[in-house]
Amino acid sequence: MPLVRRGSSETAAPTLEASTVTAALASGSIDERWTAARAAAELPNGLSLLSDALSREADPRVREAIFTSITRTRTPESAAALLPYLHSDDASLRAGALDALRAMPEATAPHLPGLLTNKDADVRVLACELVRNQPVGEANRLLRPILTTESQANVCGAAVEVLAEVGGTDLLPFLAECAGRFPDDPFLGFAIQVASDRIGSQASNRG
Amino acid sequence: MTPSGKKNVLVIDDASLVRAYYRQALEKAGYRVDEAMNGLEGLEKLLMQPFDVVIVDVNMPQMDGMTFLSTLRSKDLPLAGIPALVTSTEAGEQDVAAARRAGANYYVVKPISQEALANYIDLLTGVTR
Amino acid sequence: MVFTESKRYYVERRIAERMAATSIDSFPAYFAFLRSEIRDEVEHIINAFTVNETYFYREDHQLECLTKDLLRERIQEKRPGDAIRIWSAPCSTGEEPYSIAIWLLENWSEVDNFNIEIVGSDIDTRVLGAASAGIFGKRALMRLPPDLVARYFEQLDDERWLILDDLRQSVQFSRVNLVETRQTRPQGQFDVIFCRNVLIYFDDESRRVAAENLYDNLLPGGFICLGHTESMSRISPLFEVCRYSDAIVYRRPREMNP
Repeated sequence: MPLVRRGSSETAAPTLEASTVTAALASGSIDERWTAARAAAELPNGLSLLSDALSREADPRVREAIFTSITRTRTPESAAALLPYLHSDDASLRAGALDALRAMPEATAPHLPGLLTNKDADVRVLACELVRNQPVGEANRLLRPILTTESQANVCGAAVEVLAEVGGTDLLPFLAECAGRFPDDPFLGFAIQVASDRIGSQASNRG
Repeated sequence: MTPSGKKNVLVIDDASLVRAYYRQALEKAGYRVDEAMNGLEGLEKLLMQPFDVVIVDVNMPQMDGMTFLSTLRSKDLPLAGIPALVTSTEAGEQDVAAARRAGANYYVVKPISQEALANYIDLLTGVTR
Repeated sequence: MVFTESKRYYVERRIAERMAATSIDSFPAYFAFLRSEIRDEVEHIINAFTVNETYFYREDHQLECLTKDLLRERIQEKRPGDAIRIWSAPCSTGEEPYSIAIWLLENWSEVDNFNIEIVGSDIDTRVLGAASAGIFGKRALMRLPPDLVARYFEQLDDERWLILDDLRQSVQFSRVNLVETRQTRPQGQFDVIFCRNVLIYFDDESRRVAAENLYDNLLPGGFICLGHTESMSRISPLFEVCRYSDAIVYRRPREMNP
């Protein structure tokens, strides 16, 4: 019979100590840095080790492990450590930071008001996307001012994208107002129409 | 091309409303449209069926547009050379340069009108009207 | 199955997925296609709606892919007598790992040249107990041809069949939570992992950790198969996608030679 059964492996996962993790993150091979990044989530000073490593790490797989471990630490400080990467010139770092923030909505929540009013419009666009994972009422509350006061159409578009999924009917007038503020934007008018239709029809299905 | 003679466009953007907007524009112009939410899904779709052109946004989760494009271009497959239009909200010179290095054929800053989009896709697929 | 209004979105999505997969643009056309009873498509629809049901030779197109493509690749760098390790996680009540065993014995010409280790793991000790016991009902066996049932099972009564002791003894069962690295790492590294219809149920954070664990549990160049309606594109960027004639599977990248 070519099928064999071996007994359970005796080797438990090695528990890495802080000093080993630090050293590996700084100068190990890709596999060593990967393992160290994964282990760092469980260390008391893990966030600072990870944050430091992220600033120097170029390998995409190790970056991914660092982002996951930062997500696991899950404090507002964890979110704060990732915010600078939303400005990065490197699209994959921006995406990685965004995915990590998306996975820790409670830790991200305190930062959202600031992100939604950041002076960089591209950051405001990403911030709208982060609102999607907040509780529905909170998401509506955070995005309404975008509809009425945001100056960049792309940011409004990002807000409308999220509201198409979670928007309440009380936002319909503000959506209309937003469309009126950008009459020449080819995409925004379309987006607001579709979002308003969706919000309206969901309401009538529930009613 | 499908048996009907229509050219196939793959739209890769994480915003469902943007995909719907492009779909409306391109179907009206006679294209068949398929959608993907991020670069990974885009690569999968490209493995499943033939496409004539791909539109890909820069900022997407899991795999951004630049990584998608450079991964695609490095593959030893016929689809690796597919014409690609990159879209972005960013207009900086370094963003355009990065897109070119990744293998973009055109780089367009959002928002883009439906007419302009159809024109670009006509150009990239060799359609004359 | 009962579908309430709240399930409408779920139903629409599943049908939209099947329409996209078969490149049929309109629902009337798709419905006509279904009604003409292309056997595979009916099975796809059933699979899409009964994600939690398990039975022998479920999604056998992946088993086809296993012998035709995945193992052929894996043995390229192995010598006769080397181990081939396959993980079924979650294994539930055992249908999947036992199916793999039977399939290999029945369909793989190289089966006698290697030492094949099949491990079945699940977080639920009750289903593991049932898997070890190896007793199955009619429904679980419904896709097996009668000669396979006769060959690998002993009928206990009208409703129950016991899998042959040789097969029962050849699969290793273990309790593992895929999110716990301390539990996954000791399982070692595998040539092929079947991880169907579980990652989609995790929250974002757990899904990332589980994906990283699965990466660690794969040999470089090893393959991972997800459920039929799942895609790594919603789960993790760590794996490469590979298309074969019978299935889409994912792969841990091979080691780059220095």
